[in-house]
Amino acid sequence: MEKEELKKAIYQLIEQSAGKKKYKQADVIKHFRQQGIPDADTKAAIRELIDAGDLIYTYFGGSYIELGEKRKGA
Amino acid sequence: MTKKYETPLLDELEKGPFPSFVTEMKKAAAKNPMAADELGLLEKSFRDKVTYWKHGGIVGVRGYGGGVIGRYSQLADQFPGVAHFHTVRVNQVAGLFYTSETIKFLCDLWDKYGSGLTNFHGSTGDIILLGTVTENLEPLATILSMNGFDLGGSGSAMRTPSCCVGPARCEWSMIDTLDITYDLTQEFQDELHRPQFPYKFKIKTVGCPVDCNASIARADLSIIGTWKGPIAIDQDKVKDYAKKGMNIQEEIVNMCPGKCITWDGNSLNINNADCLHCMHCITKLAGALKPTPPFGAVILIGAKAPFVIGATLSWVIVPFMEMKPPYQELKDLIRNMWDWWNEYGKNRERIGELIIRRGMREFLEVCGLEPTPEMVREPRNDPFWFWKEEDLEKKPWEEFLK
Ligand code: HEM
Ligand code: HEM
Ligand code: SF4
Ligand code: SF4
Repeated sequence: MEKEELKKAIYQLIEQSAGKKKYKQADVIKHFRQQGIPDADTKAAIRELIDAGDLIYTYFGGSYIELGEKRKGA
Repeated sequence: MTKKYETPLLDELEKGPFPSFVTEMKKAAAKNPMAADELGLLEKSFRDKVTYWKHGGIVGVRGYGGGVIGRYSQLADQFPGVAHFHTVRVNQVAGLFYTSETIKFLCDLWDKYGSGLTNFHGSTGDIILLGTVTENLEPLATILSMNGFDLGGSGSAMRTPSCCVGPARCEWSMIDTLDITYDLTQEFQDELHRPQFPYKFKIKTVGCPVDCNASIARADLSIIGTWKGPIAIDQDKVKDYAKKGMNIQEEIVNMCPGKCITWDGNSLNINNADCLHCMHCITKLAGALKPTPPFGAVILIGAKAPFVIGATLSWVIVPFMEMKPPYQELKDLIRNMWDWWNEYGKNRERIGELIIRRGMREFLEVCGLEPTPEMVREPRNDPFWFWKEEDLEKKPWEEFLK
């Protein structure tokens, strides 16, 4: 999978599960591993999404990845 | 003008011989409205026996998953100065050395962007800046970073590594605790700032088994300096201690856990093969005894405060590791254990708890470590020696039956 495609897929995963299931970084990596994506690729893609503010780390007893504020309302 | 509150309950804490945080808070409150309202809120908390703090929420700095702990007051109407009261963790300097200029910089910065209240240092080891508002976080992080500082860790991440003063001031340090801490901090920037673990992971490094940082009780990974050579003895100095009234038999020989010291009133002898490297004799007879090289570190795993299971002390996994830059063996070991923990750890499960759940045997296999007697925690406890099917096919017992 191309990097941009993977980023979109990760974003969609988090977007679709918002309010239902919270993902930790390791959960996202495991999810895409099942589709044959190497762990390092998923990690790098998450990193870019976080740096861009599309996704953010949140804390609720443990650290999770959720939608960034700027996209949440839009 | 800052608001004044009557604080009869807090005032009680200014009485008595010890320095009082109430006195310090009052000083800050005189010039900072956030500190003033914090004082008022604390008095109310004491009176009502309720803390009035809301936990959590999403605050932070772009690109960082930690370093800021969101706090909001439930009584924002009554105490507007503490409506937001976020805590900022700043990565402390290894060994806690600052110039007065640096301290002034941090204090001035916090007077401007926060409540003026600080904690040097918090239980985590970080510089703790107490109480600021969400809007101030980005500018604060930028100014800190322009001045060579960075946020510390929080959440499910590697926490800011910490260490004892080590070779900078202490004659007993057998490893460069400051360099190890700095090196690991740089190496694991991602793990520090981008929470990716099941839960927190703390690394603490101390120069010798005196363990001034209590790494054995407070770190998931404790790195404790130790030695392999014999303990060097200056017999004249030992005799000086005896002459000055020390009861060598009582205070040294009888208290040696290895039962490996003898004293005939004239000379002290140590059977180094039985020494447990506890430092008792060396610290009591300072100057007379000292450890000799090779120097290195014991690596231990799994200490934590009570949570899912009770408090645990960390557990030896490598009895002796050389500690030379770039510490590759240590870094590889840490990465291996993180991969395993990420794979199998449940949410909020510390690595020590995972080891208890899945077994030390699996942990040792993952880390590529051979079981050794030093790993046995208590007599008659499992030494993790397991026979596999293929080992048994070789009939190992025949060797002993000959
Ligand atoms: C008279 C009562 C108390 C005393 C004498 C006391 C004392 C202490 C001390 C000495 C520390 C270590 C500080 C450090 O190393 O930075 C500490 C930390 C802490 N205390 Fe208390 N404490 C008291 C009440 C409380 C209460 C009521 C709470 C919570 C409702 C609390 C929560 C904490 C927490 C969360 C920490 C860790 C802070 C950090 O990570 O820096 N304490 N306390
Ligand atoms: C149904 C009968 C018995 C049961 C269920 C039983 C059970 C146990 C258990 C659970 C231990 C602790 C083992 C360990 O973790 O170290 C133990 C230790 C011991 N038992 Fe028994 N036992 C029984 C009978 C006996 C008898 C009849 C003797 C002596 C004639 C005996 C002598 C000992 C000794 C000396 C130890 C200590 C061994 C050590 O130093 O670890 N036991 N027993
Ligand atoms: S732990 Fe050992 S080396 Fe470090 S400061 Fe304490 S006595 Fe010195
Ligand atoms: S270091 Fe501890 S175990 Fe070793 S000789 Fe001294 S007192 Fe005994």
